[in-house]
This record gives sequence, structure tokens and C-alpha cells, in this order.
Amino acid sequence: MQDSKGTPTSDRGFTIWFTGLSGSGKSTLSRLVEAELRSRRFTKIEILDGDMVRTHLSKGLGFTREDRDTNIKRIGFVCNLLSRNGVIAIAAAISPYREVRDFIRKDIVDFVEVFCHCPLSVCIERDVKGLYKKAIAGEIKNYTGLDDPYEPPLNPEVVLETDKETPEESVSKIMHKLEMLGYIPAGEAIYTEEEEEKVKKRLEGWGYL
Amino acid sequence: MAKKVLIIGLDCAPPGLVFDRWKHLLPSLRGLMEEGIYGKLESTIPPITIPAWTSMVTSKNPGTLGFYGIRNRQDYSYDKMIFANSVYVKEDTLWDILSRKGKKVVAMAVPQTYPPKPVNGCMITCFLTPDTNSRYTYPDSLKREIQSWVGEYMLDVDNFRTEEKEELLKQIYQMTEKQFNVALHLLKEKEWDFFMMVQMGVDRIHHAFWKFSDPSHAQYVPGSKYEHAIRDYYIYVDQKVGELLSHLDDETAVLVASDHGAKAMVGGICVNEWLMKNGYLQLKQKPSGITPFAKVQVDWEKTVAWGEGGYYSRIFLNVKGREPQGLVSPSDYERVREELRKGLEAITDDHGVNIGTKAYKPEEIYKEARNIPPDLIVYFGNLSWRSVGSIGHGSIVTFENDTGPDDANHDTHGIFIMKAPGLKNKGQRDGLKILDVAPTVLSLLGMDVPKDMEGRIIE
Repeated sequence: MQDSKGTPTSDRGFTIWFTGLSGSGKSTLSRLVEAELRSRRFTKIEILDGDMVRTHLSKGLGFTREDRDTNIKRIGFVCNLLSRNGVIAIAAAISPYREVRDFIRKDIVDFVEVFCHCPLSVCIERDVKGLYKKAIAGEIKNYTGLDDPYEPPLNPEVVLETDKETPEESVSKIMHKLEMLGYIPAGEAIYTEEEEEKVKKRLEGWGYL
Repeated sequence: MAKKVLIIGLDCAPPGLVFDRWKHLLPSLRGLMEEGIYGKLESTIPPITIPAWTSMVTSKNPGTLGFYGIRNRQDYSYDKMIFANSVYVKEDTLWDILSRKGKKVVAMAVPQTYPPKPVNGCMITCFLTPDTNSRYTYPDSLKREIQSWVGEYMLDVDNFRTEEKEELLKQIYQMTEKQFNVALHLLKEKEWDFFMMVQMGVDRIHHAFWKFSDPSHAQYVPGSKYEHAIRDYYIYVDQKVGELLSHLDDETAVLVASDHGAKAMVGGICVNEWLMKNGYLQLKQKPSGITPFAKVQVDWEKTVAWGEGGYYSRIFLNVKGREPQGLVSPSDYERVREELRKGLEAITDDHGVNIGTKAYKPEEIYKEARNIPPDLIVYFGNLSWRSVGSIGHGSIVTFENDTGPDDANHDTHGIFIMKAPGLKNKGQRDGLKILDVAPTVLSLLGMDVPKDMEGRIIE
């Protein structure tokens, strides 16, 4: 995915699929991974966030098992279209059922499953959207982790422990995996202006330049 | 065959100091020499940290690697120079090959390893890392371990102001101690088949303190408090090497190597002043005072060539159709280049004595020259003089440096010492080359040597 000048080319896309409980860090990390990829000069990237998808692509679908599966299959369908056309697709959806995730994996050739592992108690404590509170109070039904199951992946490409790692560490794990799998060139990091100046000063100081 | 291989890199260590002058004071290194083989190790052209270490670990010459110094031209424009960091290393290193084969590796402070790449083991990057806030380890979690072992890690010595010698010396020792301590932890606590560390302190102390200990140096002052600074540092490093060795078994091969040597620096040749004086370089406006070349206004339409500063010089011709405002027509290129070579090789010192400059054409020394090679690679006074790129000195010869300390320059030969199980014919060897190290390591580990490696196995 790199031309002779080191610029990533976009002849081959892939899908990064974040799965995990609500509040496990999927959306945050998907945005950070996107930013990291952009800093490495990748330009064709799309995020399909579960919450966002439900207001457009899957409007009207509820939270029954059937509706959830339909929602995930739609996201998978779009990811497949994108990645086979050279786009890096990043899906961030709870996607609680193993069967449908594996269905998507079979469909998408270049599929990187990222499991955001985080204990339910921590997610409840975080409760960024205030939905756990409502679910616990019985105002929301079929809430994943409470009265609807979450089935962790058995063989994900990456396992993050978002209660123990910093977001930077989690991103770094994902990037390493993408490098190992050959989806992105290894270590394609570029100095910031300030960093470059620092290195230059050191090298001048030691007489190299 | 060895079960494991440890390489201890001592950047800039010259044969003269290790094999002769201070051999009696260095029991660890001497022990390895006595039990193994040793000899001068011919460096790359140029004998510079980058590309030399990468040539060592890939067995590829600088032309194949496409690195002609720490900074290289990105394209044929006049001002785009990029740092040769690990992103641009496209050839397999020893840790790439060994990782793929399932061997566990540790690569520590080897130049040109920033940003870090995933390996089957761990990596700590080099002095091209901006600072310890950067990602300087693989895996990331290693950073926390390092902090717990030695506190704030030191990637290099940044306080190079030449007047503050005491502080500088302190920092060189601090860095060396921290790095050897980290190495000891890694050596003892991590699983490894191949371990390589490079200590830059040797290079730093040469550049900053050489004149105090070398009576042949023009600025040598006998009896200075720093007279034995380098010697004492070598003794210290030898002790640290000894600590590492004490944790190895007999089935581990140990290599000690340097990327290049060192020699006293006589002075500097202001390469761009010389080009100006001889009509090859025109400025739109002469700067007031000494000014870095990148900041002067060059009249490119009237310029034939320009030069880079450093321990050696790189001369670039301003070629029509190649550079944006090229002047030299391609049909005249060879004549101009030859004329420049003769002119540069005739440069004299302030007493009118020829300093013995050597100028190389890339195609004469490399089988191929990838990326953008210089048109000439120049060793002023065969590396006894550095290249000064800045303008405004008012003379070609200078004893005032534009950047950095001016005590020592690089030399063409470093050191090689190897103690390995089952080694026959111990003692001194001639004709060893930096490209021989990588195939030797693979052979020690009983692995096939890739056909495109350019060196030979040292047996």
C-alpha cells in the first residue's frame, strides 16, 4: 500500500471492526485510529459509528435480535463496498452477537476485528450517554450487558483492555497489528516541525550536519 | 554454532585505542580478543553512523540502501532534505529476518531504528528519536518498564555546548549508565536469541574531548583535567561490558563492533566558500556574518555546484533538466564533475600544503545508487578535516567550527571482536568489512544467509 515515494496508495482497503459493550471506548478509539491513519498520509477513511448509522442507514430498526442483526449486516455491507474500493472502513458498533460478526468476516476479505474489552462495571461507571442508568431503572429494555447478552469474539485480531490501557496504547496496538498484517507500512511516522527541529539541533550539535 | 548472539556496538571506537593504546586497561574487551578473533573493520563510504550501522545489520552497502548520510535529498529541489529514519529502511535487517524465523530479538539504541517497528521481541530506538515523549520502544509497554528500571531514559546527550565540559562529561556517563542498566535488565529478563545494543557515548566523548588526550591534535594542551577523560570512559565502558558478559553462558557468541573509527580533527574546509572562490557557486547577496548555507540567497541560475557540511562533504551539481534551475548541461556533466574532483583534491591548508583530499564518484564505489546520491563524496584531508557548509568565514580553511565540537573526525576503520563457541584460528584478522557482520550472525545461529547479502561470513 505504498508507492515508490513512500506515499500510501489506496488500491486496497480494509475494515477495522470495533466490537464491545456500550461505553467500552469504540467511538473514541475509532476516531483516534482515523486520526493516526490520516497522520500517516492515508486519506480515504470512513467511520461507520453505530449510533450514527441508526439515525440514517438503519433508521426505524429497534433492538430485537433480528433488528440488531439487520443493523450490523447493513454496516457490514457498506464496509465491504468501501474497503473493496480502496477505502479504510472503520465500524464502531456494539455488534453483540458472534454469529453475525462472523457472517460479516466471511464477507469482507480484509477484516480486522478489534475487541474493546472492558468490564461491565467500568462501562456502567463511565455511562457516557446516561443509558445504563436508564436501563438499570428499567426505562430501556434489551440493553446489551444487562438484559441482552454480549458475546465476546473468540479470535479477534486485536484485544484491547480499555480499562487498563491509555487510548494511545490501544491505538498503538491496533496500528502494530495493521503493520504486522501488512495493511499499512511499518512505522510510517513523520516528525512534527518541532520534533524535526529538535533532532536537527542535536545532529548539528554533534557535527553530523 | 551458537545458541544466542550478543552484539555490543561501540559507536566510533577506533582500533588504535582498543587494540593498542588502552588494551591493557580493558580486561573485558581484551578477554574477548584473547579468546576469539579481532581486527580492523572497514566501514562504509561514507564512514558515518548512518548509513554504517544499517549496512552492518543488513549487509547492504549505502548505495543499495539509498542512504548517503543522516539527511538525504528527498527530490531534486534545492532544499528538501529528509532524515534517514527507519521509515526509509527498505532492506531486511537482522531483526527482521530473525523475527520472521521465530527467533526472539532485542535491538537497543541501534541508529536508524526510530520510529520503532514491530519485532518478535523488543526494540528501543536511537538518537533520531525526538525525545522520550515519543514512541521510542516496541512494544509500548516497554517504556514503562524502562522508567521503572532507570527513571527517565536518555536517548542521547543533548547538552553539547562545548564550553560546559564538566556537565557534558556528566551527561555522557549518565546516558551510558542508564543504557547499560537497561541492557542488563533486558538481557536478564527478556527472552532473546539475538541481542544488539549500540552505545553512542563513545562517539560523543571522542567528539568533545579528543583534543585533551591526543598530543597530535593541534589544540592539545598537556596536563588538562580532561587529559584522561576518554581513557577513563573506556575503562568504565569496559566494566559495563564485563557486567553484561558475566550473565552469558558459553553457548552465546559475543561480538563487539564499531561503525567507524575516529581521528584527530585538524580543522574545517569551507566547501561553499571554495566553490564560490572558484566560480562554481554564486550568491544573490553575501550574508553579513557566518550564515548556514540553507539561509543564504543562492543565485541558482549561475550556480554549478554546492556542498553540504559534516564530517565529510557531499557535492551536488546543478544539472539542467534535473535541478529546477539547472545550469550544467548533461553532456557537460562528467567534464565538470571531473574538474571539481581535481580542484577539491588540490585544496591546501593555511601553509599551502596539499591536505590529501579524496573525492569519490558514487558509481565508482556502489554497484547501484538508490534514491538521490551526491555527485561527489569528499573526504577533506582524508577525513582529518571536516566540511564546513556555512558561508561568511572569509577563508577556505577555518579552525572555528560552524556547528558542534571540533575535536575528532570519523575514520574509515572501526573495530571487530568476536568470541564464539567452536571458533578456530583465534587471533588478529585482516580484511574484515562492516558488511560481513550480518552474514556472520546468521551463520552463528545456523541460519541461511540471504543471497543478496553483500558481505561474507567471518569464520
